[in-house]
Amino acid sequence: MAQLKYRMIPEGMLNGKLIPLNIVLIDYKDVKECGLEPKEAFEAVAKTIDGPAGLNIIDLDAVTTTSDGIVVEGTIIRMAASDRGRINKDFGYLEMIPLNYTDEDVKREPHLKVWKEKYPDRTLYMGPDYKKKIIPVHNVVITGRASNNNSATEMMNIVTMEEILLPILGQLEILRGGKVLLGYTGEVISVGIGMVVAEEYGRIVPKRQYRCGDTAHGSGEYAKTLKKHIPIICAEKPVLAKYIIQALECGLVPGREIGGSPAVLTVAKYLHKDIDFDNITDRAYEELASIGFTKEWMHSEFPLLTPEEIIARADELIPGCEDYEIYDSKDLVQVKYAEC
Amino acid sequence: MKLLHTKLPEFIKKMQVAAATKGSTPKEINIMGLENLRSAKMQSLRTGRIEHAVGEIAALDNVERLELIMIPRVPETMQTVIVKGIDKEGVCQKAVLEIINVLHPTEEAYLLDCDPENVDDRRPAIGNH
Repeated sequence: MAQLKYRMIPEGMLNGKLIPLNIVLIDYKDVKECGLEPKEAFEAVAKTIDGPAGLNIIDLDAVTTTSDGIVVEGTIIRMAASDRGRINKDFGYLEMIPLNYTDEDVKREPHLKVWKEKYPDRTLYMGPDYKKKIIPVHNVVITGRASNNNSATEMMNIVTMEEILLPILGQLEILRGGKVLLGYTGEVISVGIGMVVAEEYGRIVPKRQYRCGDTAHGSGEYAKTLKKHIPIICAEKPVLAKYIIQALECGLVPGREIGGSPAVLTVAKYLHKDIDFDNITDRAYEELASIGFTKEWMHSEFPLLTPEEIIARADELIPGCEDYEIYDSKDLVQVKYAEC
Repeated sequence: MKLLHTKLPEFIKKMQVAAATKGSTPKEINIMGLENLRSAKMQSLRTGRIEHAVGEIAALDNVERLELIMIPRVPETMQTVIVKGIDKEGVCQKAVLEIINVLHPTEEAYLLDCDPENVDDRRPAIGNH
């Protein structure tokens, strides 16, 4: 019998942070090598796990975007939720769809210029096809206690009602054997994840509901509390810096084509790149100001740094996460095998 | 079945009667998930099937008591929230309507203690009656 490799962060306490359900990441290459369809792969892995689990299949050769519109290499292409070894047949599985976007589509979603210029031969994925999924609003799968939400970047235990944030870059670093941060989401990311771009098939917010420059949270001074105390596993900051720099060097402007999140704004300031101040809405400014990213900060002088300096000093320069430590992902993740 | 829709109190009564009479001893049934409804009309065809299921389970000798749990079929519900301010005469003076989206656990969360082989899923596909 073949063995399907998967990586798991088990439910329970992990270095002082609560992991609310089992987190499973599967490399799409391993699924194909076993000759499996993604759903079969999920079923094989789910059978080995008794408690609630969120399961993702990741294609490291495809591309996607972060919530602030930064194109990154690698993406989740299928997501599932399981409990007691089973996946709910109606709500437990969802596919993200390949987007064969034309130049017209890219004009409407201009942050995708990075995809066209840097990764023209890679398949672009975002969220599921909202016209086909049964659960109407959230891009979520649910089985029993397990919920895998926001196109697989936020997982929850609906019975204990605890959750964890798993931004895409962190999941990709786990599969690549890189370093990750384990900590609390904190105020900066709570605000930052609201600074979205308009995407028809957005992983978190589809149907182009919020334009770039606005906030999807609209919570004023409370935006900083939204995910503050939620555990997070994300990529180390040099990785984030690298992709933000790439987007800025493609000529994308924060507040106009990419989201005005604190991390993006910070890198833009150090590279002396333009920010579209007029396009950022008052309510976005209010949320940013509540965590110290005021208009004064945005208009102040920053030293000009090279991309290499920013990446080398990313831990010091780029805001985000609280009470965290950096780990080799191999030290946090179990490698396991399922019979298939 | 006399009517196409069953009144809520009759739905509850039917289940209690089935639990109490279909086994060799009377059994209690704890009905959950209807607490927020003071009145409703329930599909009678389905009421009958559920009543039948209650009777089947009540008839099992290894069953001591029953539970009937009602949860949303689709585990994300958009709810209207009605906030009412009521004066000392009991008259509503002001109301605000809002919405909230709720994510629910699916049926597996209520069957954690049940062997899957003992679960008989008689539900139609999504979208069918």
